[in-house]
Parts: sequence; structure tokens; C-alpha cells
Amino acid sequence: MKRSMKKIISTSLTAAMIMSLSVGMATTAKADDKVTLTFGSHQSGLPNSGIVQDLAKEFEEETGIKIDFQISPDAQWRDLIKVKMDSGEAPDIICVDTPIGLASSIHMDQYCVDLSDQEWLSRMEESAVSAVSAGGKSYGITFPGAKMYFYLYNKQIFEDLSLEVPTNYEEFKTVCQTILDSGVTPIYEATTNGWHQVLPLFETGGLWLAQDAEMYDKLNANEIGLDEIPSLKTIIEQLNECAELGYYGDDYLSNAVENAKEAVATGKCAMFIAELGWRGEVDADYPDFNAAENLGAFVMPWGDNQVIGVNPASNAYFINKDSKYVDEAKQFFDFLARPENLQKRLDGQPELSALCWPEITSKYSEEDQAFIDSLEKANVVQTSVNYIDSQWMDVGKDLEAMYTGAYTPDDVLQTIIDRRNEQAELQRDPSWTE
Amino acid sequence: MNKKKLYPWYFASGAAILFFLLCFLPGILGIAYSFTDWNNFTDEINFVGLKNYKEVFQGNSEYVSYILNTVMFTIVTTVMKTIVGLALALLLTQKFIKMKNFQRMVIFSPQVMSYLVVGLVFKSMLHPTTGFLNNFFRDIGLDALAKNWLTDLGLVWPTVMTVDTWKGMGYIMVVVIAGLMSISPEYYEAASIDGANFFQKLRSITLPLLKPVLVNVTVLNVTYGLRVFDMIYSLTNGGPGNATGVINTAVYKEFSKGDLAMGTTLSSVLFFVLLALLYFIIRSMENKEVGA
Repeated sequence: MKRSMKKIISTSLTAAMIMSLSVGMATTAKADDKVTLTFGSHQSGLPNSGIVQDLAKEFEEETGIKIDFQISPDAQWRDLIKVKMDSGEAPDIICVDTPIGLASSIHMDQYCVDLSDQEWLSRMEESAVSAVSAGGKSYGITFPGAKMYFYLYNKQIFEDLSLEVPTNYEEFKTVCQTILDSGVTPIYEATTNGWHQVLPLFETGGLWLAQDAEMYDKLNANEIGLDEIPSLKTIIEQLNECAELGYYGDDYLSNAVENAKEAVATGKCAMFIAELGWRGEVDADYPDFNAAENLGAFVMPWGDNQVIGVNPASNAYFINKDSKYVDEAKQFFDFLARPENLQKRLDGQPELSALCWPEITSKYSEEDQAFIDSLEKANVVQTSVNYIDSQWMDVGKDLEAMYTGAYTPDDVLQTIIDRRNEQAELQRDPSWTE
Repeated sequence: MNKKKLYPWYFASGAAILFFLLCFLPGILGIAYSFTDWNNFTDEINFVGLKNYKEVFQGNSEYVSYILNTVMFTIVTTVMKTIVGLALALLLTQKFIKMKNFQRMVIFSPQVMSYLVVGLVFKSMLHPTTGFLNNFFRDIGLDALAKNWLTDLGLVWPTVMTVDTWKGMGYIMVVVIAGLMSISPEYYEAASIDGANFFQKLRSITLPLLKPVLVNVTVLNVTYGLRVFDMIYSLTNGGPGNATGVINTAVYKEFSKGDLAMGTTLSSVLFFVLLALLYFIIRSMENKEVGA
């Protein structure tokens, strides 16, 4: 009796389990009717204003396809997404920095869907298309126009202290010292994001090209080393000198780029490296400051540089080729590429001055446009020279180590060179191995 | 021994096969890969012998500093967590303490939080100008104590280890309390009759009887300490510079660089160190049990 009772109980339990399992599967199938696309990005890959999220909501209203944004800190994104893509856990849509065609880039062509046949591709600027292309095929969609980083400065502080815009490093130091003496922090620097402190090193490619017009090609062919570029070491030493002289203030090792707006708008800091469009972002948060009027711009004078670095590449969106929803993701890209949505993006992103879509008119004022036109330009190093962009965040850490006294400027340079060699050898770059 | 009562070996074979396939084999494969030049950029894998290990230990490689950092972190946090956990456990089992369970819960609660959350919260609390801690010191007039907690090379390790101890001590406390509860009160009564004071009782009764618990706690702390990653990653990301880099942050870095062989080499080094340490700790534990 006891045994038969046990049998009955166990049979009914098994039946219940099978039933619940099949019910569970049925509900999963039902839930699948509504598609959710996961969208992975780093903080600076998505505009702070939330315009991409707003566009995604409109897309959801129109198509019923939901976009789930997963945002990671800048300093960790590059490592994180590479690990995720290698382990097959990457989101459906991936936002990463371009170009993707350099040997040292993240090889999105291995992980993402070929988008060469998409209609919108022909409407993007040629330089932008090349930034998202590798091996003759295009893989991504990108929106921001060419990036140029300037020193934006508080005109009022400069006027009060009777300062002129510096055109070389010595003048820059004098300006910083005068500002520091007046009780204001001359430069807002923020190393916790990992990337901002590296800009002076590689946005000043004009100096490299002035030394040798073929410099970028020679570096890629390994005919010349970074130690043979005197301006690079000079700039590292100058960065260190400015830190030692207190021009970045006391907290730059704990600061974040996101807090720069507050520091500049409240007059705590006088200068910050940013794009011209950053003024729009300051205006949005601190309208009383009137950043458009009150913030001027000058070319970074590190190493006596006077050539503005132009970066045609920016972050771009790619579709994971292992995604179950490739068609839906393509639909989202089509939606983003509609002219009215491009305009919405430009309007809704205060820090952005122009899109890489010629059909949309830029927001540069006449004065800005004239200023940009007056400058000599050169492509930035990281989009032209191999194994620079891939170690950008590491260089950020090297500079941090230099500021804390753990590294000398020579150590920083040597580490960059070593890492470049290591990466080239790992990738069996023929210029290194043969 | 009644042999009929023993289950046949193949009853365990299902679990053994699963364990072998999912745990043991990948582990061995990982160690095997550390003798190759496996990387992300080519499908070809060549045997390179001990090259990767030599690279880790030769010259003034930064890996050695990561290994030393890991060992230092493990030793200090193990000692700190055990001492603080034991002290709290002793305190929260005393009769004069009110609302013991509530207090135990409060001290245990950090254990429930994710390491990332703890890291990010402390990162903002320890900011030199806007952080809670420095503002608190300034408000009570102790300006000299307001420091750059996470960016000063002399302070960053003590800070990270203190935060880690804060998070982990509650767990140790709970385990030790369970151990304390199992000690028969008669020992203490007898000692009291003999006129023993608190420290005499602690030295001669509590600590010897808690030894198995303390050994377990040490095993837990050591294995955690050597494998530490999330706390460092979220609090300092290995910085400033590479000052707080540990083995696992380096493993992560190597994997993301695409140098998979070096990543597995560092993991294997960690595995061997862990294995050796655990062997000695568990052996010492077995000896004690035989002795008792």
C-alpha cells in the first residue's frame, strides 16, 4: 500500500512538472512576439541629452520593437565589449568608436552584419563611410560630424586678467600661472574617464606631419618609431610639468569629464579641452552662463602646436551578426537615417555642431565657421596610425601613473612604444615580423 | 563496515562525468593553452613552452607587481576581516548588548550588496572635494584628515582594503557567531569559578574551540582575496596608473587585448598559488582534527 502510494505521488509530481515545463515554454514563445533589441554602448557613445533614447521610444511606438539600452563606463567599454563579442554575449546593437579598418581597431567586421547594401549608406559623408568600413565592406551607421578638440576658455576670466590667447607653450604656461595666482584653477582635467588626458598626445598630429609629411605611413610600415618623434616626448613632459605646477588643480585624478560643465560654468576652472559644440551642452545645463558668448576657443598649444587635429571618425552603431533580430535592427537604423530623425538628433544634442550627413545643415555659427576655416588642419594620429587607438585607455593610465609619480615621462613613452610593438607582434603585422 | 550498505561507484558517475566535463577539463585545457601563443588574431596555435611564464616572472615585469599586490591584498584583508569579524562576533554574543539580531543584520547587510554597487558608492563617498567623508571631516574642523583617498599612492591600498573589509566582515562575523554558539557554556562557567578573566577565557577556551571555524574562514578569505576583481575594478579600475592592479585585472586586460595565452598563463599562476595554499591550509586543518 505504502509503495503504491509513493508511486502515485511520484507519477503525479512528474506529470505536474512536465505540464509546468510545457506551460513555461508556451509563455516564452508568446513573450517572443514582442521583440526587444539590446543596445550596448559606453557613456560617451550616447548623447547626454537622451535624444537617442527618445528616438528609440518613437521607433517603439511605430513598430512595437523595444530598444533596451545597456550603458557602461567609458574606461571599461572597449575591454568589456571585446570580451563580450569573443564570448558570444554581445548585445544586438553595439556602439563602438571608429575607425574599424586599422589593424589595431576592434574588428567589427568579424562580429557584425555587412550593411553595404543599405540605402542610407550613400547619404553619409565619404570619410564617415570609410570609418565604418573594412575590407571594402561597410558595417555601421554613424552620425556625428568630424571631431575637433580645442581649449575652450572663459573669456571673462581672460579679460579680467588681461590675458591673450596663447599661441605656444611658454605663453600657455604664463596664462595658466596668472590664472592660478588669481585663485582659479587654470585647467579642468579629469582622468577617471581614462580618455580625456590622452587628447594632447595624439590630437596634435600636425606636429608629427610637420616633422615628416609621410610620418603616418612610415609609422605604419615600422620604418620609424615613436621615440623618433621629439614632439611626443615634449608634450608628455609638458603635461607632467603642468600637473606639478598645479595647473590642473588638486582633484584632477578623481574628477570626471561629466563635471567639467559645472566647473567651467561656475568659474572654478578657466579652460577645458572640448569640441566647440560642448558650449551647447553647458548652455543647456547652465543657461545663465551663456556659454555660446562666454567661451572662446584656441588650438591646444602643447609642443607649440598650432594645427587643429581633425578626427573624421566617431562612435558608430553596428549589428551583432549573432543577433536573432538582424532585420529588426536594420529597421531601427533605417528609422534613425530618416531626414527628419537626423534633424531631431542634431537639434536634440546640444554638444553636436554638425552631422556627417551632408543633407543636414550644421549648427556652427558664422563666427565659428570662419574660425575653423582659418585654421590649418591635420588628421589626428589615432585614426591614421596603427596600435594607438587600441591602447588609448592604457595611455590614460600611464599618464595617471606619471601624475602620481610612479612613472617618469620617459617611462610613459617607453610603455606606449612597448605596447605598440607587443600588439603588432601579436597580430603578426608583416611590418614588424618580417 | 557493512559492504552491502555502500552504494556502488557508478551511482556517482553522472555527477563525476559532469564535473569532469564542465569543471576539470576546461581547467586543464586552460593550463595547456598557457604553453601556447593562442590569441585573438589568428586561428593558428603554436606550442611555445615556458615563454609566457618566463615573461611573467622575468625582469621587472609589471605582472610581478600584480602578483605581489594580490598576495598583499589577500594577507591584509584576511587578517583584518578575521580580527574585526571575531571582535564583532564576541561583542554581539555578549549578554549586555541589546537588539543583537538587529545589529547583526545591519553589520551583515553589506555582504548582500553587489561589489559593483559598493565600489561605485564608495567611489563617490571618497571623492576629495564632493565626497561625503572629506566633507564630514571639514565640517567637524578636521581638515587635515581630508585626503585623496583613492588617488594618493600611499593611501589607495589601505582605502581599498578597508572598504573590502567593511563589506566582508559581516559574513565572517556570522560564521564565527555560529561557532561561538556551539561552544558549551559550561567551559566558561568552570573558568569563571577558577577566576579566569575575559582574555584568559578567550585564549584558553574560545580560540582553541573556534579553530576549525577560523581555519574555514581563512580558507574562504584567502580564496576570495587571491581572486579579487570586482571590488578593485569598480573602486579604482586598477589605478591610479596601475598601482592597484591585481592578477585578475591583468587577466581581464590580457583577454581584452586579445592575448589569450597570457591571460590563461596568469590564471594558471593564480590557480597553482591557490592550490598550494589551500593544500597547506587544509592539511593543517586535518592535523588539528586528528589531534582533537
